[in-house]
Amino acid sequence: MVHSVDIKYYLVLAAVLFCLGMFGVLVRRNALVVFMCVELMLNAANLTFLAFARQNGDATGHVSAFFVIAVAAAEASIGLAIVIAVFRSRGTVNIEEIRTMKH
Amino acid sequence: MDALKSFFMTAPVEPAVFAQSLWLIIALPLLGAFVCGVFGKKLGRANVNFIACAMVAGSFALSVLAFWCVNHAPSGGTPVAMENAFSSSAIRYALGYDYGIWFAAGDFRVNLGLMVDHLSGIMLLVITGVGFLIHVYSTSYMEHDESPWRYFAYLNLFIAAMLTLVLADNLVLLFVGWEGVGLASYLLIGFWYTDAAKAWAGRKAFIANRIGDFAFLIGSFLIVLLVGAFNDQASTSNYAPVGINPEAAQVRFREGLEMKGPLTFQGLEVMANAVPASSDKAPNALTLQTPIQAGPLAGRTFGGVLTAALLLFLLGAAGKSAQFPLYVWLPDAMAGPTPVSALIHAATMVTAGVYLFCRMSYLLVLSPTAMLVVASIGAFTALIAALIAFAQDDIKKVLAYSTVSQLGLMFMGVGTGIFWAAVLHLVTHAFFKACLFLGAGSVMHGNGDETDIKKLGGLRHEMTWTWVTFLIATLAITGIAPFSGFFSKDALLHGVHHNHLHGFESASTLLYAVGLVIAACTAFYMTRLYVLTFEGQRSPEAKTEHAHESSGYMTVPLVILAILSVVALVYALPLMPSRNGLQPVMENFLGPVFASAERIASRGALATLDHSVPTMADYLIAWVVALVGGGAAAFAYLKYYPSRGEQPAPAFARAVRRFTQNKFYVDEVYTFLIIRPVKNLGVLLFKLVDTMLIDTVLVRGTAWVTARVGGALRYAQTGDAQAYAAVMALALLGGAVYAIIQVLQ
Repeated sequence: MVHSVDIKYYLVLAAVLFCLGMFGVLVRRNALVVFMCVELMLNAANLTFLAFARQNGDATGHVSAFFVIAVAAAEASIGLAIVIAVFRSRGTVNIEEIRTMKH
Repeated sequence: MDALKSFFMTAPVEPAVFAQSLWLIIALPLLGAFVCGVFGKKLGRANVNFIACAMVAGSFALSVLAFWCVNHAPSGGTPVAMENAFSSSAIRYALGYDYGIWFAAGDFRVNLGLMVDHLSGIMLLVITGVGFLIHVYSTSYMEHDESPWRYFAYLNLFIAAMLTLVLADNLVLLFVGWEGVGLASYLLIGFWYTDAAKAWAGRKAFIANRIGDFAFLIGSFLIVLLVGAFNDQASTSNYAPVGINPEAAQVRFREGLEMKGPLTFQGLEVMANAVPASSDKAPNALTLQTPIQAGPLAGRTFGGVLTAALLLFLLGAAGKSAQFPLYVWLPDAMAGPTPVSALIHAATMVTAGVYLFCRMSYLLVLSPTAMLVVASIGAFTALIAALIAFAQDDIKKVLAYSTVSQLGLMFMGVGTGIFWAAVLHLVTHAFFKACLFLGAGSVMHGNGDETDIKKLGGLRHEMTWTWVTFLIATLAITGIAPFSGFFSKDALLHGVHHNHLHGFESASTLLYAVGLVIAACTAFYMTRLYVLTFEGQRSPEAKTEHAHESSGYMTVPLVILAILSVVALVYALPLMPSRNGLQPVMENFLGPVFASAERIASRGALATLDHSVPTMADYLIAWVVALVGGGAAAFAYLKYYPSRGEQPAPAFARAVRRFTQNKFYVDEVYTFLIIRPVKNLGVLLFKLVDTMLIDTVLVRGTAWVTARVGGALRYAQTGDAQAYAAVMALALLGGAVYAIIQVLQ
């Protein structure tokens, strides 16, 4: 436990990452960028899990982080597949133009 | 003579063995109905005819066997007797079999039990015997019809239902047959359903019958409650008349209730025997005046509830037997095929009401009020039906009103307690009225379906067999001496005259006078019908130049029925020895069935039943009445009608005629009083509840609200993923703010 950094720095970093990710999700129009921003938010969550796990000295947070990574990988692959399929059919990945969920 | 007697009194089958096969009597025609109805189209006309007739013939053979078994009393042996579950004394001259529980709920149970005694035995023979003849007749009558399988399926179904009705040993099973005959009657009246008027006639019959059946059901429920209350309240001394040891009799009655249910006729009979009219002789006993202590009927007396139940049964019987106020369906029922009119609407089904009251004679004699109402309804119906029959020109309608009228006579007999004569008249009426109807069918068949008697005439020479048989049957119903109708009607009227209902002393004389008027009317309109159809010249308006005689399939049943309507007179002759000298065969024969009624009446408090035999003077009066009525009609229509027929009648006569021809406007009164208010109420409910409330508010309203709510929510659903994400982000922010506030506090 040398140079142990105070937990609040990790949490602030995670919050900053999360806000950046959320900002990207809400503002960007390119579906790929939106996905990247989602990954950013997930990583912010992972960071908090790990920071707390480290502080509490148990493995629960690590396990949770592994799950999040697995889910993120699955999500990214399926999401990319959908994006590619949408691009093939419509020639665009701009989510403003993809509003078929409405019907 | 003794050898003959012992032959008839020794059944070829052991009664106890045969009893187990009683269900076959019902099952055979039921099977016939199934086969004809389902496979009839493939089987073809001849096979259907054969199957339908064979099934009824089989049923007839079994009925004969059953009847034989009931009479089983080999010399030296004991007469056949049936164990009575409710009392230690057996039921004499009866056999039956209980096929176990049919259904049960709580301590109420109904068994599937069949029973044949002398009363139901006679009915069995009439139903299957006359039924078989009419089946044979139908094979020829319906030969040009395109769907005989449907006809014979219904006809067989009717026979099965009617047999259920008379074989039932409890009210519920009887009700099954009661409904079954109603259904078959409805199906057959509307048999030619492509003709709207005939389909309507079927509906009318059905609805009039349903009203009666509803009353029947309520009556049955009252009886269930009454039996329950009796079982709870009766003291040991009540059972003294039932068995030698009252305590054992009470135990036996309770066991019987548990074993066979409250609606079994045997149990009702025991109960009727155990309820005295007054407590003079049995101080601690429950009487007709005792109030019921518990249950829904608490506070009412036993006698009162019994009277109410019997009056409800009377309404039921009025529906089935076409008595006032429910008689209006029978004349319309003539829309059906003529053999159906003969079988259902003259010989069997319409007598169900008379049968019901004879079956429950022991309950009826407990209530002079109910008896008087039954007799009065009968007399009133008989009189108005006879008056309406005067003016009808349709050959079948005259016969239909005549049936209503004759049934009214039977009700008079039942109501005054001369049960055996009512049954005898039922039997003889079945013979001659079936013969008349079939004769009318034969006339129609030979004259291009002409039913207006004014357009017939002179058939005597062209349809010899039909003429002879119709003449015999007419003389029988008119009441001319050597024919059965004379004796049965006279026995009936004699009983009506001499039986006394206590509390209503003058009723018998009045009813007797009405009965004589009815007899004169019957003679008049039947003679008119006969004269206009068969005598005189052939009407120039006839549809066919020459009538042709019907085929043998139609004339042979006519001949047999004509013979039967003569020989049935034997049953009215006083040939059998009894305590008061000789008594009529039928009375002797039905003695065991009406023994309870006799015993209850002989206690003397409620009714006095008479057993005298009609004297020569009585016969003479009846004969003169019939001759006067018939002679007047014959004179009027043979001498007067041909010459004056062309001239217009005076205004008064025309008005009276129109009035009677329109059946006293009873149908119109019903339309005005009942049908139209109900219809208007229906329209009101339809407009208010159906159209406005259900269609507009509920059905369309629900759709409207859903559509509007959906329309409003549509704006929230943009399909923009980022908008959804923004909402989620805002929610998250809210959650975060809330968490911070919680932490800071």
